[in-house]
Amino acid sequence: MLAPAKISKPQNFSTSLIKRKLEPYGFISPTVLLLLLLMVIPVFLVIRYSFMDNVIVNQNPLFVGLENYRTMIADERFIIAVKNTAFFTIVSVIAHLIIGLSFATLLNSELLSKTTRTIYRMIYILPWLFTVAIIAILWRMILNPLGVLNYIIMSLGISQNQTEWLSSESTALLAVTFINIWAGYPFYMISLLAGLQGIPKDLHEAALVDGATGLQKFWNVTLPHLKPLIISMSILDLIWTSQQFALIWMTTGGGPLTSTEMLGTYTYKLAFSQYEFSQASTSAVFLFLISMGLALVYNRTQRAREQ
Amino acid sequence: MGRKKRKYAGPKQRYGGSMNKKVSFRTRIGAALSVAALLATGTITSTPAHAADVTLEFAQWWDPELPTGSFRALMDEFEATNPGIKVKLVSGPYSTTKTQIVAGAASKTMSDVVGLDGAWVNDFAKQGALESLSGLMTAASYDQKQLASQIKVDGKTYMIPVVNFVYPLFTNSDLLKKAGVNKIPSTRSEFATAAKKISKINSTTKGWVIPLSLEAPNGIQNDVMSLLWASGGSMLKNGQPDLKNAKVKALNTYIKNLWDAKAITPGAFTLKEQDKVEEFTNGRVGMMIDTLSHVTLIQKNNPKLKFNISPLPSEDGFKGKRGIPYASWGIGVSSNSKNKTEAWKLVSFMMSEKTNSKLSSIARAFPGNTKSVPDFVTSDAISKKAFEIYTQGYPANEFTGLPVAEELMRLYGEQFQKYLSGKISVTKLADNAQAAWLKKF
Amino acid sequence: MTVGSARKRRIHKSGVLIVISLGAIFAGFPVFWMFVNSFKPNSEIFAFPPKIISPNFTLDAYFEIFNNPEKVRFFINSYIVAICVTLLTLLIALQTAYAFSRYRFRGKGLVNMVIITLQSVPPITLMIPYFSLVVTLKLYNTYQGLILTHMVFTLPYAVIMLTGYLNTLPRELDEAVKIDGGSALTALWRILVPISIPGIVSVGIYTFMISWNEFLFALTLTKTQEMRTVPIGIQLLMGQHSYEWNQMMSMSILGSIPVLALFLLFQRYFLGGLTSGAVKA
Repeated sequence: MLAPAKISKPQNFSTSLIKRKLEPYGFISPTVLLLLLLMVIPVFLVIRYSFMDNVIVNQNPLFVGLENYRTMIADERFIIAVKNTAFFTIVSVIAHLIIGLSFATLLNSELLSKTTRTIYRMIYILPWLFTVAIIAILWRMILNPLGVLNYIIMSLGISQNQTEWLSSESTALLAVTFINIWAGYPFYMISLLAGLQGIPKDLHEAALVDGATGLQKFWNVTLPHLKPLIISMSILDLIWTSQQFALIWMTTGGGPLTSTEMLGTYTYKLAFSQYEFSQASTSAVFLFLISMGLALVYNRTQRAREQ
Repeated sequence: MGRKKRKYAGPKQRYGGSMNKKVSFRTRIGAALSVAALLATGTITSTPAHAADVTLEFAQWWDPELPTGSFRALMDEFEATNPGIKVKLVSGPYSTTKTQIVAGAASKTMSDVVGLDGAWVNDFAKQGALESLSGLMTAASYDQKQLASQIKVDGKTYMIPVVNFVYPLFTNSDLLKKAGVNKIPSTRSEFATAAKKISKINSTTKGWVIPLSLEAPNGIQNDVMSLLWASGGSMLKNGQPDLKNAKVKALNTYIKNLWDAKAITPGAFTLKEQDKVEEFTNGRVGMMIDTLSHVTLIQKNNPKLKFNISPLPSEDGFKGKRGIPYASWGIGVSSNSKNKTEAWKLVSFMMSEKTNSKLSSIARAFPGNTKSVPDFVTSDAISKKAFEIYTQGYPANEFTGLPVAEELMRLYGEQFQKYLSGKISVTKLADNAQAAWLKKF
Repeated sequence: MTVGSARKRRIHKSGVLIVISLGAIFAGFPVFWMFVNSFKPNSEIFAFPPKIISPNFTLDAYFEIFNNPEKVRFFINSYIVAICVTLLTLLIALQTAYAFSRYRFRGKGLVNMVIITLQSVPPITLMIPYFSLVVTLKLYNTYQGLILTHMVFTLPYAVIMLTGYLNTLPRELDEAVKIDGGSALTALWRILVPISIPGIVSVGIYTFMISWNEFLFALTLTKTQEMRTVPIGIQLLMGQHSYEWNQMMSMSILGSIPVLALFLLFQRYFLGGLTSGAVKA
């Protein structure tokens, strides 16, 4: 038995009400303060740069309004970058989700012993542990026309071609997407694994009692429970993948030709190869606006949840 | 349903005002400790300052590439002969040096002395990041005749090449022999024949390897345009792009011929310079144009490999001096440096005859001081040969000092890739590249 | 259990094992390849046909790192930064996520949007203005600067993910505390946190990873070798003319061991049973 509830004294009522109203602000203040202090000014500057003719290398920037945006939309390379980024991002995120979910479920299966599960889980998070530079180098090694992948393919007799996975227009985009899928699924897997732990066993038992099969259990009990998690992860992944720069840059440099040109590489080249910082900022604002759209979607789902 | 039975994961709790304070108190302590830890770690990094000494920061990528400690030893020598000046070496990865300099210049944190690549000078000068060395040289009454070259923008010197890495032709003697090629190719037709014959040896061996990756498009400079310069050709006319001339066209067609004959290592469109040398070291390619400094690397990694150095092949019948491509480790002074006089002292030290000889020796490069002679020239047969080639030809790199040089290489590279894939004709290649380049001038 | 269902169970188990093993090849082979290459001399890494164990098996790549105090320092720096970032992020993000999960307040939508969209600006474009700001705040080349910078990236993630986790926990748990007169903080730290350990651990591990593997800002915001981190150490091995392939591999392998150890340590939270029976309807 717990201690009897304390009855708040009447004169404390209004102060505790104010306190209650201010509580959430207190909780979010460190985050908001840090982000405001460090991020808002640079982001504001980037947006401002996009309206200038050029900055950093230009000592006297002039305001040019939407000029840079017009240039960007008319740039054929920008359109290509958008198309490639869209493919790359959407395929990656969907694959991440499916693979992450499947692995998480499999690795949570009661059919395996705890030791087996632990060992396999350790293997499955391996792609996560490495910095982008190494992942790029490693896969370039593996996908080299005379690398280990082609060696295995040739030894198994599947094909005798030395396929140029990363160097041929037809396969480069698929190759980098595959590398990204490999490097990123552990994020989903671990998060979903954690989420799966939170599903009360009684719900599962109740479903069993009602005669549900494994698949039905999954669909009707597990998935709805994981839905908020899946939405959060997907939004984050979409935003992050659409910005992806380093992986592409270090594997293919945007090539061959323009087959793996992404918004990330497009922006980088504008900034540090052509020294067009304002145009690079314009591209950044474009990504920013897309993310804002995604953030709005996220907000809406949060609000719907609260109804 | 019944009464809610509450079970908690934690120990038995009692709730009330006192518990509140305890929890938030703990949180506060935790936060305070973290902040204290941060501050403590912050103080570890601060170093005591010597009031009298001037500390020069020298940002470069050279130290990691040289034998351990050798570069620092040179700096120690400088400090010994220049009391009151200390040199702090700041090393960064080569691939990010350019972006870091841009960022450093923009935030006024750039190091006093910086290592530079000739392809960046024009843009940095425009950004206002570099100090004019001409002014510093006049102020110090420096004898400029000892400098083999100076990189100028608008008549003012912004970079001095400290050492030059030349790119001769490397040939694998065993593969040439196996292919029935008796002498090292010296003309383009000999080169083409050799390349095709070598490629026929087996499915994993090719005659030539060129890195055409668009990430660091130096292949256009070192492996493509170099052949142009070796035949006295030029991609510029009066400082303006001239990509439509006959020699450029001949070069493009020549390479396409080898490409279609499958005499070039696969994967070229994303191959980088560092991969090129691995292919050669592993004996899978017969010929490559590469930096002389790789000689030691190849000898170390594959002592059994028999290879030779020779001048780049030129057009049949060309009798003039052959240009030999080069890339430099250049040096410059930051415009926001507070110690420009001392900085110049370090630059002139690097360029002095003795130091320059030493640096050339350990870097396996040719000196930027006209009087310096690296020791490997006499000690090593291959390097002796390279020095001969160097003196018989002339250093050629038309990209040095051009605006957005790296972007120019990339623009050409993209069109070149399209051409090699058969998407556009050689005339279209010239037209597109020319148009793209003109926009940048 | 009848014989039939025992057999069915065994078939299921074999099926799961087969699928998991195939997946393990997908996940682990590239890392296995990296591991194998860290024991080869540089010259053999690109040999064709590729070998698993080189006849010149060598530990040189590892010794080069252990024997070089500069390189060891990279690891120490990475640890300091990553651990501080993780602890501070979890501390702050939990409170913020709690507010988002349990409260409705004015400006909630706006703050949400700000948190998500602020991190959508590509770091490349942000780098120069951000760098100038850091220099002005005198945080250049300090641990604090790096830690705070990494937190700017990890906090939004942590907040969103933890909000998601907290949203899966029923509100009855908080209400019980409130009814007894407990404060919000008590509800959070005494009740919700212990139950959400798997979620917190996964966010913690991910935060640690983001900080540990981060390259661009670690490079830009540090100047001296004493402050550099492991990803920079790896890229320093990528020279202008040639790479130290095997050292790059060995450095990465060494860098991954602490996280694997962490994961192993926290495995028990992922093996179920923590929340069973927390609330009975």
